[in-house]
Amino acid sequence: MHIPDGYLSPQTCAAAYVVAVPAWAIATNRVTRVVKTRNVPTLAVLAALSFLVMMFNIPIPDGTTAHAVGAVIIAIALGPWAAVIAVSVALLFQALLFGDGGVLAFGANAVNLAILMPFVGYGVYRLIAGRAPLTSRRRIAAAAIGGYVGINAAALATAVEFGIQPELFHTASGAPLYSPYGLSQAIPAMLLPHLTIAGAAEAILTGGVLAYLARTDPARLAATHRDVPATAGEPAPAGGRRLTPARVSLGFVAVMVLLTPLGLLAPGGAFGEGAPHELNLGQLGLHAVPAGLAEYNGFWSHTLLSGYGFHDGQHANLAYILSAVIGIAVVAAVIFGVGTLVERVARRRRGTDPVAEPETA
Amino acid sequence: MDGSEPGADDLVFSCRDLRYAYLGRFPALDGVSLDVHKGEKVALLGPNGCGKSTLLKILDGLIFPDGGTFTAFGQPVTEDNLEDEQFSAGFRSRVGFVFQNSDAQVFSPTVREEIAFGCLQLGLPTGETAARVDDVLAMLGIADLAERAPFQLSGGQKKRVAIASVLVMNPEVLLFDEPTAALDPRTQAWLIELIADLSAAGKTIVLATHDLDALDVIADRCVVFAEDHTVSRVGTPQQVLTDRELLLRANLIHERSRVAL
Amino acid sequence: MGGTVQASRTPDWLLRGEPGLCRCGPAGIRRKGSFVEKTLTGGADLLRQVMFSEEIAGRPGLLQRLDPRLKAVSLVVLLVAVGLVHHVGTLVACYALTLLLATASRLPLAFFIKRVWLFIPIFSGIVVLPATLSIVTPGEVVLPLWHWHGAPQGFTAQGLTSAALVISRVATSVSLVVLLTLTTPWTRLLAALRALGVPRIFILIIGMAYRYVFLLLGVVTEMYEARKARTVRARRNDRAARGFVAASAGALFGRAGHLSEEVHLAMVARGYRGSPRTLHAFRLRAADAVAAVVVLAAAVTIYGGDVLVGR
Ligand SMILES: Nc1ncnc2c1ncn2[C@@H]1O[C@H](COP(=O)(O)OP(=O)(O)OP(=O)(O)O)[C@@H](O)[C@H]1O
Ligand SMILES: [Mg+2]
Repeated sequence: MHIPDGYLSPQTCAAAYVVAVPAWAIATNRVTRVVKTRNVPTLAVLAALSFLVMMFNIPIPDGTTAHAVGAVIIAIALGPWAAVIAVSVALLFQALLFGDGGVLAFGANAVNLAILMPFVGYGVYRLIAGRAPLTSRRRIAAAAIGGYVGINAAALATAVEFGIQPELFHTASGAPLYSPYGLSQAIPAMLLPHLTIAGAAEAILTGGVLAYLARTDPARLAATHRDVPATAGEPAPAGGRRLTPARVSLGFVAVMVLLTPLGLLAPGGAFGEGAPHELNLGQLGLHAVPAGLAEYNGFWSHTLLSGYGFHDGQHANLAYILSAVIGIAVVAAVIFGVGTLVERVARRRRGTDPVAEPETA
Repeated sequence: MDGSEPGADDLVFSCRDLRYAYLGRFPALDGVSLDVHKGEKVALLGPNGCGKSTLLKILDGLIFPDGGTFTAFGQPVTEDNLEDEQFSAGFRSRVGFVFQNSDAQVFSPTVREEIAFGCLQLGLPTGETAARVDDVLAMLGIADLAERAPFQLSGGQKKRVAIASVLVMNPEVLLFDEPTAALDPRTQAWLIELIADLSAAGKTIVLATHDLDALDVIADRCVVFAEDHTVSRVGTPQQVLTDRELLLRANLIHERSRVAL
Repeated sequence: MGGTVQASRTPDWLLRGEPGLCRCGPAGIRRKGSFVEKTLTGGADLLRQVMFSEEIAGRPGLLQRLDPRLKAVSLVVLLVAVGLVHHVGTLVACYALTLLLATASRLPLAFFIKRVWLFIPIFSGIVVLPATLSIVTPGEVVLPLWHWHGAPQGFTAQGLTSAALVISRVATSVSLVVLLTLTTPWTRLLAALRALGVPRIFILIIGMAYRYVFLLLGVVTEMYEARKARTVRARRNDRAARGFVAASAGALFGRAGHLSEEVHLAMVARGYRGSPRTLHAFRLRAADAVAAVVVLAAAVTIYGGDVLVGR
């Protein structure tokens, strides 16, 4: 799933950096504040671990390979911001050490695997796990599902980035300049192996490691599980912010809305024609136009004006926005529905048996 | 508990009734008391898992006892005290620790950076740090390894780097955790000589070891632990080495082994 | 826990000789290595390659002489220029340029080419192949293969152009990155990133993570070898390997956690309090200024030339 250089246009890569750089800044800030000295060695070892996990390419029947990432289990153990840093470092190694390239595409890879994946996976985990005890089967299942959903969210984002390339960037005669597959081909091609093999690998990894840690070394999970009882008998410590279905759905919508402009920030998009200050940067959580973006602007508009016509491009963008809105709404609704259902079932069980915590698997 | 009780003003470490359990479940120390005086060489002996490494970590202010008191240089060492910038810097520059696992201790990308790490953290200027690093590299005979990465080093070389990274800070007290384990005989002999030299230069040394051969060179006083995480005996190397019963109990010798004295 | 080992506790069956659970001669059944084994061999290769790169980075060559910061910035500039190109011809010219640079930097050319192209066919070749067909990339069919509703279907000019563009662009981009990583010692590269404004804490994490990749790789290899030595007969290799991965991941995570704890203590023991300090100095030289001008000129030429050829 790691994107090498040459598959995405430099414009798309720049857009991805616009999302990734603030995320890195926040992550650095957060992580240094939360755990003072312990963070550096822990993050370093986790980054090394994530790199190793990515090295284990599992063969899949179509002849290519898929791999797990480990972003969700890191998010579960240390919080999603820690996962942002650890997986980003692992991706940097992938780009520089393995020489797979991916220097321009580093931002895009980070957005997919180091930002989207841990947040989505962690959100799903928190939602499903609720307040189940650390060692309960429900919590382990929640981790597995979180891993599964997380890696598929990343695969979907990767597919969308690939898929918008041929529409937006092609030669005058219509030959795609970068990744040649449109959305309708890229999405199934990416999702199929991830819904099956890689998703299963990530689910087993996430659930398995959580089960191992909860059993042997619950102290390692303390940072993210303060309000969770260790075993079924213990009462849950009070306090801590609760993740309700509504909050998770909203979080999902926010993340996806942030990601949607990825394709549109690129030239050919509705914004592409304008100067950078016309971009809705407030929405991206940015208050100043990044210097790099401002610099590229000259490049962009030039490419645009002399290059391919806009007419078909604009329709594609409209369709893209529309499908994005519908897609986000549907998925958010599903998350909300499933979350509410899980909560209700959990509450009912708790109602019938007030002493023991529920153990839904 | 202690045999020798000279003046209290040359006391480096003073431990009273230390208790420590990992994760609150696995006991490692169960009521250990120990005084270490300036310029002394103390060896901690005992079977695997008796708590030697744990005691050294407490002496270095890395973990804090669940019960009992620990004072260093006349000041109580607690988690709270070490939060204090000045106390922490003072304590860290006066006490150096060579870990049992050099892979954990040698964490920087190159040998040079590894050795410079401590001095830079304690605020020594870059120029002086660089000069000191060069001196230590030369002294330990690893100048040619300076730009290498740790994964390109052998176990013995890594140990030298770990020792260099501690010596460069010129601490008054040196803690060694099984310094001679996994070293070839020549490097072992070199290290034992180094410890003797450091001691002659006035450093205080506390080390954990299973090595009886060099005990009388590297220790003035031995503290023998029992399997129940308590101190079973304190004495000179001579006293300990002649007490066959004690050595057997501490797993330091086997029924069939003979101690050459 | 401890205790003196007593010979009498040894179970009888261990002291008795046994003819072996299986016969020791060959039976003619061979299994290919599982993906775990391949990955571990890959890991060993990685280590060897890293050592080799360090050796190359020490040779007196053109790129080795330049300031790492300049090289890093130039890499990005050239990657963007290469990324904006529309013609296969321009890309091929750029690729030729990377070969020239490799020679000037005393890289073994065969190694350099192999390093780049070994990776490309797997990743790009197969992936891009279907895109040459009209079902993926519609356009002018140059080589009809079959007919569908009367229309010829097959390779299209657009599809072939696109495939050539992707492959040559990937090859050139990878070559540029490999040029940087092969001619710059890893620690200098890290220092350059630091000098270019990457936060110190990131640099520290990257440096340590790099160090521990190899250590953990060693741990996995050991676990795998220990297991393999005990495995008498596996049913199917990949399935057994998947089992191994699942079983060892938890243990590895535990080991890694333990290791990070220890490293943390080792750092604290030497005065680390959360804000790392590092030892680095850079000096730009005249050669670097010249190189900067050359790189900029090259980037402008690549992009400008490509625009001039026509869009
Ligand atoms: N991180 C840990 N988690 C749980 N228990 C631990 C941990 N580290 C040590 N222990 C336990 O604490 C006890 C004391 O360990 P310690 O490392 O101090 O022993 P030691 O005397 O140094 O042994 P050795 O000679 O093998 O190095 C042992 O029983 C050990 O199992
Ligand atoms: Mg020990």
